Amino acid sequence: MSSTKRYWKDLGDLHQDPEAIKGREHEFPQETAIDQVLGDPSFGGASTGRRDFLKFLGFSVGAATLAACETPVVKSIPYVNKPEDITPGVANWYASTYYDGEDFASILVKTREGRPIHIKGNPRFGLNRNPSLDKGSINARINSSVLSLYDGARLKGPIKVDQADSAKAQMEMSWDDADTAISNGLASAAAAGKRIVLLTNTIISPSILSAVADLKAKYATVEHVQYDTISYSGITNANLRSFGKRVMPSYDLTRADVVVSIDADFLSSWGCTTELTWQYAMRRNPDGAMNRHFQFETRMSLSGANADERTAIKPSELPLAVIALHDRIAQGTGGISLGGGNADLDAAVAKAADALIAARGRSVVLCGSNDEGLQVLVNSINSMLGNYGSTIDLGRHSTLHQGDDAAVAKLVQDMNGGGVGALLIAGVNPAYSLPNADAFRTGLQKVALSVSFSGYADETASLCSWICPDHHYLESWNDFMPKAGHYALAQPAIRPLFATRQWPESLLRWTGSYSNWHNYVKGNWQRGMAGVDGQGGDMELAWSHAVHNGVHDVAATPGEAAFFNADLAAAATLAKRSATAGDYELVLYTTEAIGNGQHANNPWLQEMPDPLTKITWDNYVCMSPLDVEDLGLNMYLGEQAPASLVTVTVGERSITLPVVPSPGQKSGTLAIALGYGRGANGEKVGLAACVTDHDGKWNSVGRNAYPLTSFSGGSVRYSAAASLSVDGGTYPLAITQTHLTHMDRHSVVRETSLGVYKAGDKKAFNPAHTLAVHEDVNGDGVIDARDRKPVREFDLWEEHPVEGVGHRWGLSIDLNGCIGCGACITACNSENNISVVGKDEVRRSREMHWLRVDRYFSSDMTHAKGKEEGMGKIGRYLEMEVPSQTPKVVFMPVMCQHCNHAPCETVCPVAATTHSNEGLNQMAYNRCIGTRYCANNCPYKVRRFNWFNYVSPKFGEVNPAWDDLGRMVLNPDVTVRARGVIEKCSMCVQSIQAGKLEAKKAGRPVRDGDIETACSAACGTGAIVFGDLNDKGSSIRSKASSDRSYYMLEEIGVQPNVNYLVKVRNTEETTV
Amino acid sequence: MHSEASIREPLILGHKTYHDITNDIVTPIENKAPRGWYVLMVIASLIAAYGTGCILYLISKGIGVWGLNKTVDWAWDITNFVWWVGIGHAGTLISAVLLLFRQKWRMAINRSAEAMTIFAVIMAATFPGIHMGRIWMSYWVLPLPNQFGSLWVNFNSPLLWDVFAISTYFSVSLVFWYIGLIPDFATIRDRVTKPAMKKAYSILSFGWTGNAKAWTRFEEVSLVLAGIATPLVFSVHSVVSFDFATSIVPGWHTTIFPPYFVSGAVFSGFAMVQTLLLVMRKVMHLENYITIKHIEYMNIVIIVTGSIVGVAYITELFISWYSGVEYESYAFINRATGPYWWAYWSMMTCNVISPQLFWFRKLRRNLAFTFFMSIIVNIGMWFERFVIIVTSLHRDYLPSAWTMFHPTWVDVGVFIGTIGIFFTLYLLFARYFPVLALNEVKSILKVSGESYKKDAAKHQHH
Repeated sequence: MSSTKRYWKDLGDLHQDPEAIKGREHEFPQETAIDQVLGDPSFGGASTGRRDFLKFLGFSVGAATLAACETPVVKSIPYVNKPEDITPGVANWYASTYYDGEDFASILVKTREGRPIHIKGNPRFGLNRNPSLDKGSINARINSSVLSLYDGARLKGPIKVDQADSAKAQMEMSWDDADTAISNGLASAAAAGKRIVLLTNTIISPSILSAVADLKAKYATVEHVQYDTISYSGITNANLRSFGKRVMPSYDLTRADVVVSIDADFLSSWGCTTELTWQYAMRRNPDGAMNRHFQFETRMSLSGANADERTAIKPSELPLAVIALHDRIAQGTGGISLGGGNADLDAAVAKAADALIAARGRSVVLCGSNDEGLQVLVNSINSMLGNYGSTIDLGRHSTLHQGDDAAVAKLVQDMNGGGVGALLIAGVNPAYSLPNADAFRTGLQKVALSVSFSGYADETASLCSWICPDHHYLESWNDFMPKAGHYALAQPAIRPLFATRQWPESLLRWTGSYSNWHNYVKGNWQRGMAGVDGQGGDMELAWSHAVHNGVHDVAATPGEAAFFNADLAAAATLAKRSATAGDYELVLYTTEAIGNGQHANNPWLQEMPDPLTKITWDNYVCMSPLDVEDLGLNMYLGEQAPASLVTVTVGERSITLPVVPSPGQKSGTLAIALGYGRGANGEKVGLAACVTDHDGKWNSVGRNAYPLTSFSGGSVRYSAAASLSVDGGTYPLAITQTHLTHMDRHSVVRETSLGVYKAGDKKAFNPAHTLAVHEDVNGDGVIDARDRKPVREFDLWEEHPVEGVGHRWGLSIDLNGCIGCGACITACNSENNISVVGKDEVRRSREMHWLRVDRYFSSDMTHAKGKEEGMGKIGRYLEMEVPSQTPKVVFMPVMCQHCNHAPCETVCPVAATTHSNEGLNQMAYNRCIGTRYCANNCPYKVRRFNWFNYVSPKFGEVNPAWDDLGRMVLNPDVTVRARGVIEKCSMCVQSIQAGKLEAKKAGRPVRDGDIETACSAACGTGAIVFGDLNDKGSSIRSKASSDRSYYMLEEIGVQPNVNYLVKVRNTEETTV
Repeated sequence: MHSEASIREPLILGHKTYHDITNDIVTPIENKAPRGWYVLMVIASLIAAYGTGCILYLISKGIGVWGLNKTVDWAWDITNFVWWVGIGHAGTLISAVLLLFRQKWRMAINRSAEAMTIFAVIMAATFPGIHMGRIWMSYWVLPLPNQFGSLWVNFNSPLLWDVFAISTYFSVSLVFWYIGLIPDFATIRDRVTKPAMKKAYSILSFGWTGNAKAWTRFEEVSLVLAGIATPLVFSVHSVVSFDFATSIVPGWHTTIFPPYFVSGAVFSGFAMVQTLLLVMRKVMHLENYITIKHIEYMNIVIIVTGSIVGVAYITELFISWYSGVEYESYAFINRATGPYWWAYWSMMTCNVISPQLFWFRKLRRNLAFTFFMSIIVNIGMWFERFVIIVTSLHRDYLPSAWTMFHPTWVDVGVFIGTIGIFFTLYLLFARYFPVLALNEVKSILKVSGESYKKDAAKHQHH
């Protein structure tokens, strides 16, 4: 029965209608609209009706609008096979070495997902390692160098410059074309018997020297000329004259009880600063054997600002001062007197000389002059004091600064004379930095083949016939020998971004015997090591070790004893000759940020305030405030108070710059920073070297002062007689700190002298803040003003339970250790993606730096003194604003103090800033609505507001975070802040979290030293120490509980987690 | 029944009848506006448009278009905010406090003073909004449930108290003002003949019939609202002053701020009422309603509050010295002798010294002088807020952070713009709303006595 049951869909199915069955082959019996349209024979000629047109139009507009609304797709491609050593979110650190002809340092490069994003000193190895702290000392130029890797102006491949074209048009070529053309050029120059000159900075790489030797072997006429942008020829020549060795000695300031520096800014620019700074700082601890530092100089330098005794002298007085010092020491040590010293300086010189004599063999005299005669006299002084072999080492001498000015001068002459057939230029920019740059430029026209290895089409490169761009150093292999027995290696932290080639590899190619540069360096190193080391062990393993550490030390060859042997009288005559006086005497110097100018294209450095003037984005003429006032020029500089313009003329050359009154500078002198004015003729030298100035014109930052240098007596001179004319114009400057003094506010800055400190009475140098209470605290039975309690015990708010519970992160800042260099500022920029905002915003006091270094000059007026003199308060305050003629300087790094009773936290209406249970004051950017109440209520003024969208085309000229290339430097762990929100120091919370995680994974508590903030890691002098205040064994805990520890503005009761250590000067005063 | 001594000047001059009052107030609304109104309206709305443009520019570009910096994070924005809030206070004081004290003279001025309050508070509320870095997130200051994407607010923050204080103040003032307007709208509704106007005013009057019950309730509600509004006169500006008083900025951290701010607010508010009324009474021929007596009374309030403010200034100076706190004493020395000395002495001259001239009866009854002084006082009070905000911030604890504040054209544009918007609103009010509380004014008209006697005397002669 059931089998007969049949189901059907419709009648057609029931009756098995053939037509219906056929129709079922097409599932949809009706033709689709598209078939209709396409099948319509009149389709081609059909005219679209009005309504259809409107429909199509509406649809298209709608569709287009929708499509436009879509957020741009940023493709991120995951690894198909994950590289073994790259874990997204985990940083890799590579040891490498920084050397740019000016600075040398062993470094660690932090890479994230294959991108180098941060640089710090190598804490375990290297010349710049501070062994007492296990920190690598570097400066701002070095840790900012990671940004230049991502500079959009870097050349992307070899360039041929059309020499026939008046505009010097640049054509992109292939490396093969370049190699062929240049090899041919070299061959024809050699065939013609013309000189082939390789002009470089000082080469300390054994492998590069070997490559140069290979080139010499190939072409007989090759000659290697080394040129230091800032010359040390006078010093090396003097050493040749004195000791028979044309070298820079190496110094050991850790052994020096007395340091006398004569115009040598050894903490900022002179010598191997990365080594000298930590050595110096090690001896500035008042609890240890603190050194005594005398400084004789013209302008206030960073070293002068740190000196215990500082005497301002004119450059023309320098030789006489040195002679006076020499004679005084000669008297004390039984040496030969010269006679004719400067009597005016007697007291200051005598003081320094007596200190030196007392510390014979444990002292050092440094002289920054580039005058050969003067340096011979200084050598004699050091020799009389027995400092050679103790604080000065000529045996294991430095290999830096081998440049020879005379050879460069001869080269320029030869170029003009047509004797140079080919010129290869690496690492220097002579068309910009030579005193006779004009002659160099004309000479360059006469050189048939000129090749620059510059990474940019800079002043020199754009005039050469070929530019064969070098790798950035973070893309390079290299080796270095900064002093005998000390080897350092550089390894790439990223594959080359562009089609560049390391310049020694280019040399090798042109010798015809090409080998891969990495193999060349490795082979060379292994050969060299086999010789020096004598181990002959597993070379592959040794190489890996060396690459891993970045450094390889071999047994030090004992220094040869150096005997001073020079004609002193002749040297004195030579030295005196340099003393020419004029209306004004000009000194030229390099700044902490920009150095000799090769980093002028680095926005982080341009925006880093000068340690002393606190000026960014410009160079200027520093003058004594007395002189500025006498000339009637602007004394107060600020947002709407521009500087007066003057023209400084030296011989035929003049330069127009704004005037900055600079406390501590010798009256009658001028000081101008070198290294500015890059790309003045429109050369593309990099991101920040040229910006739109206040007139809306695209202009170089600052003016080039190198033309004011001169070549005389066998070396370049950085001082000159100058005349000055007042233009009457004004020029705005961008200054981050416009007030000069600390207004006698002792709860901000505390300083004392060593004598007072050693006496051990804390009340004398670091009195506690107390408040009188209505209790019998002292137990004398009476309640009176003597019943006081420390201010820390008073609380309006409920305590945060931070004391002794979990972690309590804090920073300790030693005002004695801080030399003011500002490496912490740029390290913080790099770690925390801090926006660069450009000159105009800085001028409006809107710099975004989370960390600043406050600079205070001392004033002659204090409250105590004013009261004694019966002065009124108003008068006192007015005088306190004026710095002393002979100011003492304090540098004070200030970041968020992470107050336990933070005034910012209570006032935020939306609770965007809150307190963590680890003592951090934390900021939720996403929650911030930008009322800025917190910034107003911050007594330390460390909060920064995003006034504009700083990551926008408007700031693209200066802010590297704007373009795709520059953005690669950003730290992916830190948010880039949007417009309208407040930001501030987070105490590198990302590092804290990472450190805690590491410890947790290892199943142990966080150890002291596991976690470093960017600033503390960058501080090679140990002035900034980070740690857990609840960790009883931590170094920050011991610092916080030392007698020198104080809290800034303790009396207002905000209870900061950042403490400061009183500055102690090694002066004789016994009062505070 | 209101009775007063015969030696007292009557509150309404010119032997008005009830009908006269209705005519005087409603006719300008019915008729075409005078040319002067159009001229003023064009000027005010142009300025308003410019100001609105500046505000839009500010919002589109960022707070950086103002002259603020890392040290001075508030300047003209909050100065203007406090200034406008302060101006608002006079309206509430007149309508609420004087109502409770049964000061009948207020009836001629309370309507326009309240309108001024509403508009001033609107202007004031603009600034905390636009001064935010991210105005589009401004609703986060409201304690909204989490569904709105908002977390809970921080009740410790004086800025949050501000939000409540200002919004409460605005709502109460608005309701109070509008309740008062209802019978007057009804009067207009009953008079006008144009259908559109009739319709509009009939909507505005909420179907007011004018029966006795309605009037009783009206009186009750007015009294209740006056009771609510009165504490607001004191609380709003006290809360505004907490923004400063509870902070730790030297020069802000001052316990006398609440009373000092309230008296300053009343002081500036009355000055603004003077500025507006002196013009309005002239233009709209209200001399019989807003008499010299009113002007004089208000001048007396100005001299009293001005003197309180003066005492507050001197107290501040004394305390800064007496406290012995370095930062505090420097803050005040810096105000008087530092780079912003001119602002401080402008404030002192305008607020403390010049109002003392009102001790002379002749001067306080002089219209031109009163008008001049009202402007001076408002300038002075603006400077007071500028001095408190900017000179305290620009040099606080750390000399390294000391800066100057320089306003930009946007700072100026926004401020001038709010004045333009304020006057635009006020002119619209004067044109379409009854500028006097006409039904209330009728209650103080001595028509029963004076006019009847006069009429009777006239008849007797025949």
